Amino acid sequence: MSASSRGEFKMALSSVMSTKWRSMLTVLGVVIGVASVMTVMGLGQGIKQQIAGQIDHSGKNILMVRPGNQARYENGAQLTNTDVLFGRDAAGALTTQDVTAIASVSQVQKSAPLGIISSAAKAGDTTLSDPLVIATGSQLPSVIGQQVQYGNFFDDNSANTAVIGKQVAHDLFGESVPLGQLFTLRGQTFMVRGIFSDFNSSPMSPTAGFDDAIFIPYGAAQQLTNNGLQFYAILAQSKGGSQAGAAESITSHLLTAHGGEHDFAVFNHSQAEDMSSSTISLFTTFVSAVAAIALLVGGIGIMNIMLVSVTERMHEIGVRKAVGATNRQILTQFTLEAAVLSGVGGVIGVVLSIIVEALLRTYTTYHPVFMWQAMLLAVGISLAVGVVFGVAPAVKAARKDPITALRHE
Amino acid sequence: MAQKILAKSQVQRYTKVNMPIINLREVSKLYGFGDATTIALDEVSLCINDGEFVAVMGPSGCGKSTLMNIIGLLDRPTYGDYSLHEREVARLRTNQRAKARRDTVGFVFQSFNLLPRMTVLENVALPLAYKGMSAGRRIKQARHVLERVGLHDRAFFYPNQLSGGQVQCTAIARALVNDPKIIIADEPTGNLDSASSRLVMELLSEIHKTGTTILFVTHNPELTRYATRVVYMHDGAIVHDEQTAIGEIAATARKAMYSMPSKTVDDDLAGVSVLMKHVPQKASDTVATKKEPQKKKPAKKAKTAKKTKAKGGKK
Repeated sequence: MSASSRGEFKMALSSVMSTKWRSMLTVLGVVIGVASVMTVMGLGQGIKQQIAGQIDHSGKNILMVRPGNQARYENGAQLTNTDVLFGRDAAGALTTQDVTAIASVSQVQKSAPLGIISSAAKAGDTTLSDPLVIATGSQLPSVIGQQVQYGNFFDDNSANTAVIGKQVAHDLFGESVPLGQLFTLRGQTFMVRGIFSDFNSSPMSPTAGFDDAIFIPYGAAQQLTNNGLQFYAILAQSKGGSQAGAAESITSHLLTAHGGEHDFAVFNHSQAEDMSSSTISLFTTFVSAVAAIALLVGGIGIMNIMLVSVTERMHEIGVRKAVGATNRQILTQFTLEAAVLSGVGGVIGVVLSIIVEALLRTYTTYHPVFMWQAMLLAVGISLAVGVVFGVAPAVKAARKDPITALRHE
Repeated sequence: MAQKILAKSQVQRYTKVNMPIINLREVSKLYGFGDATTIALDEVSLCINDGEFVAVMGPSGCGKSTLMNIIGLLDRPTYGDYSLHEREVARLRTNQRAKARRDTVGFVFQSFNLLPRMTVLENVALPLAYKGMSAGRRIKQARHVLERVGLHDRAFFYPNQLSGGQVQCTAIARALVNDPKIIIADEPTGNLDSASSRLVMELLSEIHKTGTTILFVTHNPELTRYATRVVYMHDGAIVHDEQTAIGEIAATARKAMYSMPSKTVDDDLAGVSVLMKHVPQKASDTVATKKEPQKKKPAKKAKTAKKTKAKGGKK
């Protein structure tokens, strides 16, 4: 059987090749399905790694305090509830009082708040309509371990000064080192006193990197927003010792500041990673499911074309049966053909996704990762789809009476 | 040509009378139902012994092909019993029928029915593939058979690159490759010119000499010279069955042949009457116009001088 099954495989391949154009169109559905499943999974994994890198970037002993209580840890460190849609649990805010409170915790060595202000930035004739303006404290460079390449970082009490990312320097001032230049945010004039070196990762989001950000002291930001400044996170570096101790005392201090209401969350390194990656996993799974539907549609395309093929090649089936092919042998032949079609589609899909991922890496800030698990999954599913959807037409072919099939022209 | 290559195992077994290899008992085949029922075969009984070379003659639509298809296991009878090689066909499962088609019967079609995308060698080896034979042995055996039919130098041609005669020889090689007991040829020369017809018939005749039972359908009375027995059919029934010597045109067929160019109104348009007129049982004596036999008289005497007949027997 093994010797003849290789012959059957060759036969299937040659009959697929003989109708190249049609086979190509048939396979397109599977190609797109496999390519999208793989690309989406690769993208998801890439973003996960980026975020992990960002969290690594800020250091292993960094605690992150976030407003709201959207993630709960029960039974020790088990993440049980991530409210992606920021519902009721997200209520709560971090203000400058909290920054002071955290700074005063004895186990906290350094801390830096992160808040976002929306404002256009204007310098001369140039306007950046939607820059990333981040309100922070003087300890940010050392907390996230990032060098200021030119000039220096601001102090907590220095007013209306800014440190900018390299990209902003170019976009706003058209030069690499615009030290001492002036620009306006919400009508107030700020002076550039430092430029960050290149950020390795994009701590905010994959599309908005810190290279595109303008950092201003949170005191100045407080004035810009009429004391309405809220922080999306406060980073705290613990003093040697255990993170757990630091997290506990931060929690107790903040509970006091918030009047006993637990409307904030304190994460350590791995918990922060958990939270972001579980969100992304959810998203990736969802998009993969959509892509899998494309694969299913591709499978139906294969079934359709196999049915046409069976009708078209009825005479051939008749000849084969007349020379002694059993029903099972005809069944095997047509099933194999469907499997070859979808297998080829799977392989082309994998190649396509590798190309797409390479293009994404080159031309966007996304860094999709090639996952061999995703490849096996996608190719496996496409093969299964081919076999499952190929069986029905194959059964139809196999059951034909030889003389009925022969008379069919 | 082909006959030279076939010289090897000429076991002259065809004179031996054995048990029937094909035994049909009151076999009927009906198509359609209700008012539209067509009787393709009407209680046909036929016994064919091992080693016979049977020609089946009759007008178009008389059920010859249906009979061949039933004997070749391509079709099933509606009523009646049929045993092939002492096995009741009705009891065979679909699988066993396929295996019998593969191993016991070789079928040759009028329209050749080779697979156009395969080479001659692949076409011939196809039945072996369904036997599960290894590729090496398949090729070896197919080459051997191609050599027997004189097409070994055409092994890698595609069917559309061959002449009609060569294509039919390929089809015969395919029928022969599993060394079947019976070869059934449904008008094997129907699409061929006289030279190719000769080639094909000589080949069948050589195969017959090795002991294979052969059934073939023909419209050409001259081709009965290859047969040991001629069966005449009309309207789904066997109307006459005669033994004949190899090399001689069967008696009934010969009569029909010489009276062929008839222009009498009594002979109907389908040309059916000419042959049927001479079938003994039904012989309706009347106007058997024997006006121009003088043309063929010399040929009748020199019945073995085949070489002189270039024009074959096509009307």
